[in-house]
Amino acid sequence: MSRTPIRYLAFVSCLCLCALLAGAQQSAPPVHNELLIKNAIVMTVTHGDIKNGSVYVKDGKIVAVGENVSAPASATVIDAGGKYLTPGIIDSHSHIALGDDINEATSPITPQMMMMDAFDYQDKAIYRGLAGGVTTSLLLHGSANMIGGQAIVIKHKYGANRDAMLFPGAPRSIKFASGENPKRVYGHKDQLPSTRMGNFAVQREALVQAQEYRRDWDDYDAKVKKGDKDAKAPKRDLKMDALADVLRGKLLVQIHCYRADELLTEMAMAKEFGYKVRAFHHALEAYKVADQLAAQGVAIATFSDWWGFKQEAWDAIPWNAVISMRKGVRVAIKSDSEDFARRLNQEAAKTIRYGGATEDEALKMITLNPAWIIGVDDRVGSIDVGKDADLVLWDGPPLSTFGIPEKVMIDGDVYFDRAQPGFGMPHYKEGM
Amino acid sequence: MRKSSVCNRSGLLIALVFATFTFSSHCLAQQKSTVLKGGKLLTITHGVIENGVLVMENGKITAIGAAASVNVPSGAQVIDVTGMTVYPGLIDSETALGLTEISAEQSTNDLIEMSDEIMPHMHVYDAFHAESELIPVARINGITNAIVAPENGDTLPGQDAFIQLDGKSAVDMLLVRDIAMPLNFTGEQRRNQSFESAKFPYTRMGMAAQLRQAFLDAQNYAQTLSDYDRKKAEFDSGQAAPAKPANKKTDEKAKQPPSPPKRDLKLEALLPYLQGKKTIVLAAENPSDLQTAVSLAKEFNLKFVLNHISHSQPVLDYVASLKVPVIVGPIYEDPKPEERYDTVYSLPAQLYKRGVKVAFASFDAHNSRNLPYQAGYATSFGLPYEEALKAITLNPAEIWGVADKLGSLDVGKTANVVVANGDPLDVKTDVKQVFIEGNQVSMTTRQTRLRDQYSAP
Repeated sequence: MSRTPIRYLAFVSCLCLCALLAGAQQSAPPVHNELLIKNAIVMTVTHGDIKNGSVYVKDGKIVAVGENVSAPASATVIDAGGKYLTPGIIDSHSHIALGDDINEATSPITPQMMMMDAFDYQDKAIYRGLAGGVTTSLLLHGSANMIGGQAIVIKHKYGANRDAMLFPGAPRSIKFASGENPKRVYGHKDQLPSTRMGNFAVQREALVQAQEYRRDWDDYDAKVKKGDKDAKAPKRDLKMDALADVLRGKLLVQIHCYRADELLTEMAMAKEFGYKVRAFHHALEAYKVADQLAAQGVAIATFSDWWGFKQEAWDAIPWNAVISMRKGVRVAIKSDSEDFARRLNQEAAKTIRYGGATEDEALKMITLNPAWIIGVDDRVGSIDVGKDADLVLWDGPPLSTFGIPEKVMIDGDVYFDRAQPGFGMPHYKEGM
Repeated sequence: MRKSSVCNRSGLLIALVFATFTFSSHCLAQQKSTVLKGGKLLTITHGVIENGVLVMENGKITAIGAAASVNVPSGAQVIDVTGMTVYPGLIDSETALGLTEISAEQSTNDLIEMSDEIMPHMHVYDAFHAESELIPVARINGITNAIVAPENGDTLPGQDAFIQLDGKSAVDMLLVRDIAMPLNFTGEQRRNQSFESAKFPYTRMGMAAQLRQAFLDAQNYAQTLSDYDRKKAEFDSGQAAPAKPANKKTDEKAKQPPSPPKRDLKLEALLPYLQGKKTIVLAAENPSDLQTAVSLAKEFNLKFVLNHISHSQPVLDYVASLKVPVIVGPIYEDPKPEERYDTVYSLPAQLYKRGVKVAFASFDAHNSRNLPYQAGYATSFGLPYEEALKAITLNPAEIWGVADKLGSLDVGKTANVVVANGDPLDVKTDVKQVFIEGNQVSMTTRQTRLRDQYSAP
């Protein structure tokens, strides 16, 4: 078949199908606005709150922040009316937009599973998170497997096309798990692992194989470098490729882990094989071993007050976040749920009540700290010059029950505006 | 493990505020009188009293008012609560408290019988575990009373209990046994997990037919019982009357009392509901299910309140026309893909606007404690603040028929009172002390013990 008709069809589809088919992205790619948001309580996260502050945004970036900000007359002015402006919320543990493709639960070691291949970018959960102020999420595999696969980082640009939603240049993350889930999933199948011993044996075994694989490739690369034309490349193995990259430190290791003893075992294993753990997720017993986590520089992404849903969550206490923070651990509050993702600000505010976090500390747990966990803290997570203009304008104090987003901006474009009819999305008009 | 309710951060604060108090649970059982002085009193029924005084005696509120207008009884324990907010104990209109401990551990769950869909003879009071570690966790956030309901996997899963979250045993805590009965019609009660293992009722039609049959059977049973009662009464009066000479055979027959009908616990359990003596809690989500369920309830003259109706926004005028209260939520229920993000959040406000009485429920056990935040969040979507507060105090008390005792700070009511350092609906607010029947309850839980054990530097 000639390629021309296909191209032609694709072209026509741009013109027509958008109008015909509900459910597809519907508007032209957003234009990066030039914005001046003024008269706001600007909660910067890094340098305190600025009362009656302004933020000037150009080309998707924050250009100026302060009490006296001048912007050209060409900038669209948003008068915040004395309301609150925060950085976009960052969710460092999400399973939205993955349908039921979260776990390749057929083998406990599946590092070659690429979340990108299952990313359902039309999932309305992305929109509902956006309406709750979330602008960036780390979409992780589930915890059925000891090593589940490689994650993606998205911006919640609902209505944009698939690739436009990916966070450009975000580092790769890989999801490890431990505890009850893998042992239950494979134990029920009468397979290894069915105990925590089995869990860690499976993980160790995979890492030993990866060491050998990496050595073979390093040897080969060295030979090629020396000009050895007879050097024979080892067979490529996607699983081992991924794990060799873990050993090379090219992937951020995100570990689902509840119990204190397992937090320690995972850190020991990382030390044994020479990789770093970026963050423990859930980490509901982190408060018991917070000193050790702090010493290793491992962050946690935890729930505010969820507990008792399974045995390994029985010792969860709502003071976990603040006790761990006070002992030097970098703490994020994450959703792990479509529901919590819509009100992470409230979840973070609970740390004020449970342990006396300051508002700044609480806000950091859903902005700069999760940004660090994802490896994008140089790009997002605070209102600082040079960072992406991912911003939320709240109608009330965000660290309380009573604040909800009025406008949510990503890269300087308004993606959610509560005042708009229908879904409240300037770039998405389907249905209503 | 260090067991202490005093020697921690919040405990120290309490110690400062409640300087005249000792700190064991029930230490003041049948106290003479306790006075909370200087707080901001959210009475619910008669506004906010700044710098108020509340007097509790023998488990009841005996006086309330502005500082100048209330006589403090002599010999009373006076507690300075200046700067604190004082409000009635919160009522959670549906929980699984006492029916579960660790969700994933089946041995700790007594949530529902799934062997049949018609199980009205299941009584929450038979399973209620008064010593659950979950109850103090809810209690120290100001939840003092709750409906405990079986899970919603059956159309008729059993009967609810109304509990108080403090007491020496289950007997004390179960204030009203069999207070109401859920009738669930959300579609989740179908046995349609797979085509291969299909069981009746596989469809909503099956669910409705089965329910209708159950109520018909119960009507029939009621008739059998009353027939028996009538015959028995005739027989008894015949015995009492002087014997008349008559045909010997007839005479012998008349001497035999009528034999009582065989007891049927299932049908027996349905009778008070058929007779309109007790309330059915009618759960539906979508407009179509809602209308089917309401038709069914009307067919049998059931007295009912509505539950959930999270996705019934298009028929709220119809809901209002029913003139029944609605247990809303959880308002955190995800909207359907075609619904705007705030469709469920705004439901309480939309109902209130139409004159419908609403109450909130956590529909949870472990985090029943978060009930007030749901009410608070609903205010961001249009529910007036006072109504939000009522929806977790007076409204549920009225719905459950206990408003003479609970739901507001009024003289004569049970002294279930909460003292907190701020707005009860805000997540930031720390509850400092809870009183149940005038007794200062322990503010220690399994969680605070773990906190104290591990937070030491």
